[in-house]
Amino acid sequence: MDALTIKNFRKFKGIEFYRQSNDKYHLLPFRFHRINDEKEVLVNEVGDFIIAPLGTATRIANRELSEEEPLYKDLFANFFISDKPIPDLIDVLATRYRTKKSFLDEFTALHIFVVSLRCNHSCHYCQVSRVSENRKDFDISMENLEAGIQHMFRSPASAITMEFQGGEPLLAFDNVKFAVERAVELNKYFKKEITFVVCTNSTVFSDDIVEFCKLHSIIISTSLDGPEFLHNANRPKSGAKSYEMVIEGINKARSILGHDNVSALMTTTSLSLDYPIEIINNYIENGFSNIFLRPISPYGFALKNTNKNKYETDKYLEFYKTGLNYILELNKKGHFFVEDYTTVILKKILTPFPVSYVDLQSPAGMINNVVVFNYDGYVYATDESRMLAENNDFTFRLGHIKEEYNSIFYGEKAKFFSQFWSNESLAGCADCGLQSYCGADPVFHYASQGDYEGHRATSDFCKKNMEIIRHLFDLIDNNGKELLPIFNSWINNRPRF
Amino acid sequence: MVVTPIDETSIQIKIDSTLYSSGVVHKCFYWYGGKYSVEINTEQSYFVVIISDPKKEWNIDSIVSKIKTDLIDFKTREIISNETKNIREILIAKAFANNDDFDETPPGNVNDPIGFEPSKI
Repeated sequence: MDALTIKNFRKFKGIEFYRQSNDKYHLLPFRFHRINDEKEVLVNEVGDFIIAPLGTATRIANRELSEEEPLYKDLFANFFISDKPIPDLIDVLATRYRTKKSFLDEFTALHIFVVSLRCNHSCHYCQVSRVSENRKDFDISMENLEAGIQHMFRSPASAITMEFQGGEPLLAFDNVKFAVERAVELNKYFKKEITFVVCTNSTVFSDDIVEFCKLHSIIISTSLDGPEFLHNANRPKSGAKSYEMVIEGINKARSILGHDNVSALMTTTSLSLDYPIEIINNYIENGFSNIFLRPISPYGFALKNTNKNKYETDKYLEFYKTGLNYILELNKKGHFFVEDYTTVILKKILTPFPVSYVDLQSPAGMINNVVVFNYDGYVYATDESRMLAENNDFTFRLGHIKEEYNSIFYGEKAKFFSQFWSNESLAGCADCGLQSYCGADPVFHYASQGDYEGHRATSDFCKKNMEIIRHLFDLIDNNGKELLPIFNSWINNRPRF
Repeated sequence: MVVTPIDETSIQIKIDSTLYSSGVVHKCFYWYGGKYSVEINTEQSYFVVIISDPKKEWNIDSIVSKIKTDLIDFKTREIISNETKNIREILIAKAFANNDDFDETPPGNVNDPIGFEPSKI
């Protein structure tokens, strides 16, 4: 480049200069989606958005936009249009894109260890065909546990999560104890940041178990489905009422581990659909400041009881919106309470960073962010994959825990699944304006439609996520001034006042 | 676009192929596959689309209105996609390149119009 060009490039230029060069602007990659009867959202390649009147995208594409319009400057500044075919600041945009996809740098972070299939509950929506408490042959062997831990430390991730699931993992507490102590020992060498999580129904806490959790800063994730009548109907336990035991367990864990080290997760059954407000109030009464209004997963054992576990996505969406509206009203009155799934999506919409939520990523979370070491020694691509396996569908089995790391994580199966795990290249998703905020889920589509890619027009995954994301944009459009401070408080997990 | 009712549960829509490409028509009607049976054929310079077997009661006027809007939207998407294909590839190549292989220093020296000179600090 000659000296004159260099000098001119950096020199301050008046508006006339830009007028001369902007007779025709150049398009940069962006998508759009209608959010209500008047507006559409324009979303660029890195997830930045502009809400504009319907037809704006068409006007932009047809070069009908005037540079006098305020929108023109917004589009220019936010990489929707450019004065050159390749904008001078393309490296800035590339860095933003890399940041959005930076969850790929770390590769598998969440390692789920199914230490036992034994359980003391018989929940009708359980996706795994749990076995009774005394059948120890459904526990993972120490040998396989050790092999799984070795694989976990082979992950390039600097921060890993070791999550124990079941069945009820604490019925096999010896396995949990061994695994945590072994990981702590090995980590003296690997020096990774490890988060330990136990997913438990909170009904088998002994003093020893809770003290051990405290010693190793283990986070408790428990199941609470709402009010007593609902929880006990969803999660029956022979000889006892689950709800009383869960609340007792939560309180015991909180008193020793600290209030914030105990979280709860609910599952929306057909029965739950009528009680969104009651469920939220129950969480508040029990001292929680967040809830995940989680739909049921259409996998494995859960499908055997369709009356209780299968419902139309429209009904779930009504449940979700009623619940979200109630939660927003609470927040408007100054009560800080968070809906977790909304927060995941809001982080994608309102921040430049990726979100560690494996069910809503592209490339999908399977293998890239999560892997499951099952009780029987086999490795699965996701938690849902092992649920399919309980119905003798081993499609997403990656191999045996004793096989080499590369053959499991980078093997032929992983390569095969990679064809379907990026929504950027899926029919229906590739053009979708909400693509940046959504994800791909080959396991869900295989399970629900018998097709790894899925048919978007009939996909419950697509219907649910498109409507939730559209609804959030509609809320921002109609009442953003009041709601955005609330949404930001959720993203930062900090009350506004 | 010419709409012809065939019977109570099916309509035929003729779409000028000089206005809308095959890609636009197929992408548009992909989304109708969940609610109707969709068949796409060609006839001279038209796409002939037959929509039938509605899963629920249907209002032909509102469906046709939506199809018109969707065709325009998908044509817009095609324009944007075609025009930005290369820049998207460059962007992604740069984003995932190792060792700054594709980084380019913006032309000129780091400076600004009011005379700030970072190299002298």
